[in-house]
Amino acid sequence: MNFGFGILRGLMVTMGHFIGTFVEDFKWIGKRYYTPEGVAHRSSKNASGIFTVQYPEEKLPVPEEFRFIPFLLYEEGPDGEQQDRCTSCGICAKVCPPQCIWIVRTEDPDTGRPVPEPVEFYIDIDICMNCGYCAEYCPFDAIKMDHQYELASYDRHSAHIYNKEKLSMSVDYYAQIRPTNYRREEDIRIAKEEEKAAKAAARAAAKE
Amino acid sequence: MTETPNLNTEGYDISPEARANVAITTIDKIFNAGRRYSVWPMMFGLACCAIEMISAAAGRYDLARFGMEVLRPSPRQSDLMIVSGTVTKKMLPQIVRLYNQMPDPKYVMAMGACASGGGPFKEGYNVVSGVDKYIPVDVYVPGCPPTPQALLHGLMKIQEKIDTEKHFTNFRDRTKPIEPIPVPILGPDIIDPRDYETIKDGVKSGPLTTVIPAVE
Repeated sequence: MNFGFGILRGLMVTMGHFIGTFVEDFKWIGKRYYTPEGVAHRSSKNASGIFTVQYPEEKLPVPEEFRFIPFLLYEEGPDGEQQDRCTSCGICAKVCPPQCIWIVRTEDPDTGRPVPEPVEFYIDIDICMNCGYCAEYCPFDAIKMDHQYELASYDRHSAHIYNKEKLSMSVDYYAQIRPTNYRREEDIRIAKEEEKAAKAAARAAAKE
Repeated sequence: MTETPNLNTEGYDISPEARANVAITTIDKIFNAGRRYSVWPMMFGLACCAIEMISAAAGRYDLARFGMEVLRPSPRQSDLMIVSGTVTKKMLPQIVRLYNQMPDPKYVMAMGACASGGGPFKEGYNVVSGVDKYIPVDVYVPGCPPTPQALLHGLMKIQEKIDTEKHFTNFRDRTKPIEPIPVPILGPDIIDPRDYETIKDGVKSGPLTTVIPAVE
């Protein structure tokens, strides 16, 4: 005569969660929601009770390698002007699987030689599939993947085709969202420069 | 929980103790407040974005906090169509048909790259590059796929759009039926097979220089 006990046992699980929510709330009084520790605890394996992320007020921290729409890096010059890292080589546009990157190159009108800087740079973020190949292949570390994902808007053509102005972000921003990647790339760059300087010094010494 | 919209119209002098009990407002605001917290999405998914949509509907992100937990399996009871994924040529007539069956204040969200602009399949032989070529889209959510939080941001955009709507000043003439969107029939290269004869005649009469009108 065990009919119905299975249902009761199942309902006990629900009841346990229900009570657990209040027990947890009591344990954490005022700290369980809208605080980074609270979010971290509710995302951990020890979480019990309600574990919903209260989205607009609190957001799940994104991992460093999280990738969304790409952005272009610029370095601040001595007088504060933007110096694009991009040289408009077009490798990103070539490797892009959905072909969402459009670059306009330019030539110096006096010498006729190409200017190493894009005049226009467009990314259709409604085509972009966030694969990160552009960032992977860029030889100048000029294009990187962003963490910003709140990009919904009412019009596609006016708001979702990003131009150079909208895509450009400072190197500081990149260092902030991807610190380890930035550190690694900087170390490689510094090592290369040192090697170059050492070679130049050696050559100068050989000449003498 | 999203912020409750301030129901009181600005510019009226209400004493602080009465503020919780009295609302001087337009009927639009009450109407919209009711509508913004009861947007019922249609329960249908097309591709991988649907997985994120399911995730957003489940306990971790919980659409119920926005009053959207009732995913309706019938278009006749839903207000919002989340086009979540790649729209293939085979699926498009069904989507347009479902859209036509939805009751009037209806919203469409193009979720992810494929539904918004075709995404990686934008030049594919069997994929429509953007659902907005066939049905009107209210909100575009980029991403491949958008994370559940990005989807929730898009849904909040829909709520913001509802807030701005005026039902009692912008009347729709309700004596006239809403014109349904004609269901597209797509053959190879997104040509309507019913146009074949016209195209053949056009080819016979010389090289294609003018745009051939579609047969009604």
